[in-house]
Amino acid sequence: MIGNPLTILTLFPLCASLLLMLVHWAAAEDRQADLSKWIRYINLGVALFMLALATLIGLESFSADLTGIGGWVGLGWHNYLYDNCDQGILRAGGCAVISSIGVSWHVGIDALSYPMVWLTTLLIPISMLVDWDQKRGAYFHSLILMMEGALIGVFVSLDLFMFYVFWELTLIPMFFLILLWGGEDRRYAAQKFFIYTFAASVFMLAGILMMYFHNPVPDWGVGNLTGNSFDLVLMNEQVADSSFISGGMQSLVFLLLLIGFATKMPSVPVHTWLPDAHVEAPTAGSMLLAGVMLKMGAYGFIRLSVTLFPESIIKYQWLLVLLGMVSLVYASWVCLGQTNLKRLVAYSSVSHMGVIFLGVATLQPLGIAGAIFMMFAHGIISPLLFAVAGAFKKHYHTLEIGSMRGLAHHSPWMSAHMMVGWMASLGLPLMAGFVAEVAILIAFWMTFGWLVLLPALTLIITAAYYLWSMQRTIFEGSGEVELPPTMGDDEPRDITWHENVGMMTLGIMAVIFGILPGIFFVMMSGWSSDLISTTFVDLMNSLGVEP
Amino acid sequence: MSLGTLFSGPDMAAALMPEWILLFGIVAMAIVPNLGDGTFRLPIPGTSIRLPILFGGKRLAFTADPRLPAGIAAVTLIASFVTAFMSQMIDPSVGTNMACIDGNGAVFAACDVDHQHLLRVDSFSRLFEMIFYAALLLAVAAGFNRLPATPASRLPTRVQQDDIVEQRRMQKLLDNRRQVDFYLLVLMAAFGMSVVALSVNLFVMFIGLELAGLASYVLVAFLKETKEGSEAGVKYFIVGSVTSAIGLYGLSLLYIWNGDLSITGQVGLAAAWAEMDSPEALPIIGLGLLLVAFAFKVSAVPFHFAAPDAYSGSPGPVAGVLATASKAMGFLAMMRVLIGVTLGEGESEWLILLGIIAAITMTWGNVAALGSKNPKRMLAYSSVAHAGYVLAGIAAVGAIGAGDGATLLTTAIIFHLAVLVTFKLGAFLVISLLEIEGRGHDLSHFKGLARRDPIIALSMLIFMLALAGVPPLSGFLSKLLMVNGIISSTLGDISSASLADLTGSLSWVFWLAILIFINSAFSLFYYLRIVVVMFFDDTDRPVRLSRAPVLRMAIMLCTIGAVVFGFGDFADGLLTLAGNAASSLMP
Repeated sequence: MIGNPLTILTLFPLCASLLLMLVHWAAAEDRQADLSKWIRYINLGVALFMLALATLIGLESFSADLTGIGGWVGLGWHNYLYDNCDQGILRAGGCAVISSIGVSWHVGIDALSYPMVWLTTLLIPISMLVDWDQKRGAYFHSLILMMEGALIGVFVSLDLFMFYVFWELTLIPMFFLILLWGGEDRRYAAQKFFIYTFAASVFMLAGILMMYFHNPVPDWGVGNLTGNSFDLVLMNEQVADSSFISGGMQSLVFLLLLIGFATKMPSVPVHTWLPDAHVEAPTAGSMLLAGVMLKMGAYGFIRLSVTLFPESIIKYQWLLVLLGMVSLVYASWVCLGQTNLKRLVAYSSVSHMGVIFLGVATLQPLGIAGAIFMMFAHGIISPLLFAVAGAFKKHYHTLEIGSMRGLAHHSPWMSAHMMVGWMASLGLPLMAGFVAEVAILIAFWMTFGWLVLLPALTLIITAAYYLWSMQRTIFEGSGEVELPPTMGDDEPRDITWHENVGMMTLGIMAVIFGILPGIFFVMMSGWSSDLISTTFVDLMNSLGVEP
Repeated sequence: MSLGTLFSGPDMAAALMPEWILLFGIVAMAIVPNLGDGTFRLPIPGTSIRLPILFGGKRLAFTADPRLPAGIAAVTLIASFVTAFMSQMIDPSVGTNMACIDGNGAVFAACDVDHQHLLRVDSFSRLFEMIFYAALLLAVAAGFNRLPATPASRLPTRVQQDDIVEQRRMQKLLDNRRQVDFYLLVLMAAFGMSVVALSVNLFVMFIGLELAGLASYVLVAFLKETKEGSEAGVKYFIVGSVTSAIGLYGLSLLYIWNGDLSITGQVGLAAAWAEMDSPEALPIIGLGLLLVAFAFKVSAVPFHFAAPDAYSGSPGPVAGVLATASKAMGFLAMMRVLIGVTLGEGESEWLILLGIIAAITMTWGNVAALGSKNPKRMLAYSSVAHAGYVLAGIAAVGAIGAGDGATLLTTAIIFHLAVLVTFKLGAFLVISLLEIEGRGHDLSHFKGLARRDPIIALSMLIFMLALAGVPPLSGFLSKLLMVNGIISSTLGDISSASLADLTGSLSWVFWLAILIFINSAFSLFYYLRIVVVMFFDDTDRPVRLSRAPVLRMAIMLCTIGAVVFGFGDFADGLLTLAGNAASSLMP
């Protein structure tokens, strides 16, 4: 079990970060400043090691002679790689963590979770690098490392109890990151973030418990008091046999889970924690929050609701379309009125995540694959946006769009990254965001016909606010530069090399995945095709819905 | 002969070993600190031989040490804990190890129907005894370094250069009568709680309840020099006495109805209740009045009004004991009566009442805690809320009747009461640490604790998160189990076509589970408030907290317990013990 690379990916960052924090606390007063420098390096080293490990895992599964789906072996639907627990052993309680209630340590990755895992291991060192400032204190980078462990735990867990544990575990380091290193209103924002998302997750827990009750494991033996297990694979088996929850109960569980996932994604109307949390968080915190934590909600939605409750998805297709559309349109309109750069980017995250609901609601393989790829693409692009916003805050001490003009003159690198990021986010072709959006729009047209005009026209609004904010801050001024009053007597500088390297990596990734989306898109579409053909098609035919 | 039979064999002393140890401790506590160098002059004329009897005169340095009574209490409680543990430890998977004792002092290996049994030693009683002893032991550890002889004296500090001044300070301390009072009461409370745990006769249970109750009344009033202390004691005493009197009246009604107050047995209450065809007025009213007494101990609405004042006026460790051990005792009695006596096949008669009380208690506790500025008061209201959660669990047991589901729910309840000791008592211990320097009665005293003492702040963080039910701590596991018990027992085999049908056909107890969830999320507001104040604000007193090594060790132990019982082997072990306890409770 320890030898499983996914277990290492999850537990090693957690243990390492705790150890590093302990070492710093236990050190003598005078040694502590010196020690924090070394601790930062060790944190970065561990994060890079995790990235290498995740890449190697992927390469191992990619075979050059193009067997499997487009080269990826073993990542198809219902096929988990590095599965540490064979089903027979699992049913008998061999991998148990808490045997009395049927909790096991069951990890595995497939086409849905591997891109997310790789994305997490990519973003952690980049966010550490972007926020390399020593004034952040000694525990900052260790907390980021702790987040890595918890986030990867969410994506690789195949046992719903461990899934929920890691889901809530991500809240704690982020709470401290916002509380201790955030903006002026950080106290309010940190508490709002924690309590809001915790309360919503508690509804998700109720749904999970109802699912747990319908997941019996008679072979477990005397150790299990309840006779049930939290394992997801066993639940999938039941769905294949059509013996899982159905009818009114399924609708109830679906809605309970939806509350939790919709708040995390976030989706209007439960999105109000996001602007505060994002604006007040430190740069690395915002990058992780937007890049990975929001994707947890989408991932959970696809992993649990879509694969286990196909009937409910069909029944509530209208609800998903409504939520997605409202998020997309409302958040875009709100963006038009923003004057704070970070708040603008935060609301644009809300609108992009709304597109994911639209993708899933199409019930097409292309749409679902587009939704998964949107998770990945947005996960690369929005950290870039937040890094740029953080650079604005750090070097120009303000985020007010109206107070700056023509900064490209002083900060060419920052402006270049801003251009790349802003263009990527509004869906410029040759960048990753375009692939995702176009896939979802085509699938939307295939299912809903001319209704696609609404999201398509919203793209115009998206372009409008991005172009306006970009032009205003870095271009306008007809040759004259207007520095914000918060600069005082400081000289305007360009970004440091740390931030530059971080942003450039993200920009290059956005372009690579825009030109060669097939690296991940092929396995995602293979996964979704399998999903639709095995789970949905029969159902849709029997319900009279056109597939 | 294995180790286990040594402790529960058919011999009175062996069967009740923990209780004998407690008695021995009480006697030792009364005698040892009074030992001195008194002599007795032999009345033989012409000689002046003085025999040293160890009583009286000037007390020896050892016996006048203020830490001695704490040491005696600690050793006694540890020994009792260990023997209680061992008596059930032989083979946890086999089940319980029983002994039944009747009114004549005869010990039987099993509780048969022919004899009138008074006490019963099984896994249920032993596990609860372990809970009581653990809680009281932690309270003893908290008092180790802090109880001065008189309120005016302070502990000598190391910075004292002047030896004479230090000598005088030590003299003031070398009068440990106050400590003896405190720890003697603690041991009495332990003894009373043990009697409650062991009893299968309602009258014996009442005696135990009163013994523990009276000891706790005095403990609450211990800080009698302060206004808050006396007020707390008087309030707690009066309300407690009134509810006990009401409970006794209920007990007498049950006696009139049945003629015998034992729970098991042919003429016992359980048998008589099962024989009842239709609900009769007398036993139901008697049961209701009896529940009033238990509800006070458990601080359920509307009998909880004395609790916030009692908790805030009493010393920190005592408040912690009230919140954990006293409450567990109340729930023990409630479970013995409600589950051991009245549980039938279908819905129980007390279901609706208990459900309503549970819902109101949960909500009242959480809402009132939001408005409290005093941390002890806030924790008092949070105990009220936790009592509500457990009452909801008991209500669910009443909804489904006897069976596997009821056993599962009872396991969850017992597990919750057990792990509550770690984080609830731990929170009170942190407040005790602040009380040593005279603070801890206002939220602003927590400001900047993270900078003053990071480890203690981290412990408090873990306790607050465990109380709210955040994974992966033990507070989450216990709440999850209880909610799971409620959900699984009320869902049953429901399958309906549409959502509207489903919500119509769900038992209303299901919504208690949803209410528990909502309340848990709600409670996060005030738990997180302490965390934010500790980590965010700046302190006005940037010195380290008092040394108090034994108290810090107790806090560390609680922290480790709160974490370690959340998953893995420890959680499994405790769940097995709780499962054994639940199955031995079921009729």
